[in-house]
Amino acid sequence: MKIKVVTRILEANERIAAENRKLFDNAGVYVINLMSAPGAGKTSLLEETIKEINNRLKIAVIEGDIAGTQDAERIGNLGIPVVQINTGGACHLDANIINEVLGEIPLKHIDLLFVENVGNLVCPAEFNIGEDIKVMLLSITEGDDKPLKYPLMFQESSALVLNKIDLLPYTNTDIEKIKRDAFSLNPSLKIFKVSCKTGEGVREWTDWLFSIAKKD
Amino acid sequence: MHEVSIALNVLDIAIDNCRKSGYDRIESIRLKIGRAAGIMPDALVFAFDAVKTDTLAEKATIIIDHAPVGGSCNTCKKNFVSEETYVLCCPECGSNSFRINSGRELEIIDIEVV
Ligand SMILES: Nc1nc2c(ncn2[C@@H]2O[C@H](COP(=O)(O)OP(=O)(O)OP(=O)(O)O)[C@@H](O)[C@H]2O)c(=O)[nH]1
Ligand SMILES: [Mg+2]
Ligand SMILES: [Zn+2]
Repeated sequence: MKIKVVTRILEANERIAAENRKLFDNAGVYVINLMSAPGAGKTSLLEETIKEINNRLKIAVIEGDIAGTQDAERIGNLGIPVVQINTGGACHLDANIINEVLGEIPLKHIDLLFVENVGNLVCPAEFNIGEDIKVMLLSITEGDDKPLKYPLMFQESSALVLNKIDLLPYTNTDIEKIKRDAFSLNPSLKIFKVSCKTGEGVREWTDWLFSIAKKD
Repeated sequence: MHEVSIALNVLDIAIDNCRKSGYDRIESIRLKIGRAAGIMPDALVFAFDAVKTDTLAEKATIIIDHAPVGGSCNTCKKNFVSEETYVLCCPECGSNSFRINSGRELEIIDIEVV
């Protein structure tokens, strides 16, 4: 006997993502899903962003890592509410994992929630968590072939932060090629060039955050 | 890369449908997987075989129907279909400014139960 099912396998994830989204909207919180390869500088960008914004927006952070609490400790040191999730091997965060920790985030008292996804250029882009936008980081040392090799993440993101531009003199990375290829995959992508080491470009990024993150 | 979590979702949905229809064993599960879904079929079958033990789906096999990638080009304005996992440029004109409209499907089509 054959039973017709015709169900999207990730339907459960989409349903919980929609629930999360409702909680965020009700609390007036703007949510950014931050994605990149391991070590591109997600936590560093959060540190610089939190310092630059200096309480003008109330920020909280969810840190997703396969193991360890180092990233949450770095954010906690800046006096920001932070929850560390350890996925225990899973290569991405999903809507359910986020749903389970939302009770620990003071949603009513914040404006902006960053979710630092697990370092990985492939899987995180496939699982919505209820975010308003996805933002990806690419560091200069990863090379200029990445947009065409990992198109999905560039297509799904609203903004691309090119980090570690202080290292440009030491690489043969062609930043114009990255911009060209990224734009052709996603014509509406916002692109920022920053260095979390020197602070260059961080201001343009935070100005943009201000312009989008005020929901109420 | 996340074939185990996909396999667990497949198992949950299949068992749920089997129970709801009043049957107690699943013989096969037919999936539709787009070429651009980011799923390796072999890895998914391997993961499924690992998670199905001691469930209604213990003896179930996975049947995969592949769906091609469909897109439309921003440059030559044509629609195209491709069996490639990664479409990096328009197969018609070579432009890399295009939209993918299908090919990321990840669905359970039907299950065979007894
Ligand atoms: N030169 C330079 N180094 C940087 C910059 N941003 C980050 N780094 C360094 O890059 C390394 C990785 O930075 P993290 O911020 O931990 O990267 P991440 O993306 O959070 O890493 P995971 O969470 O492990 O995926 C650290 O040693 C940082 O000091 C930058 O703009 N320039
Ligand atoms: Mg980090
Ligand atoms: Zn074309």
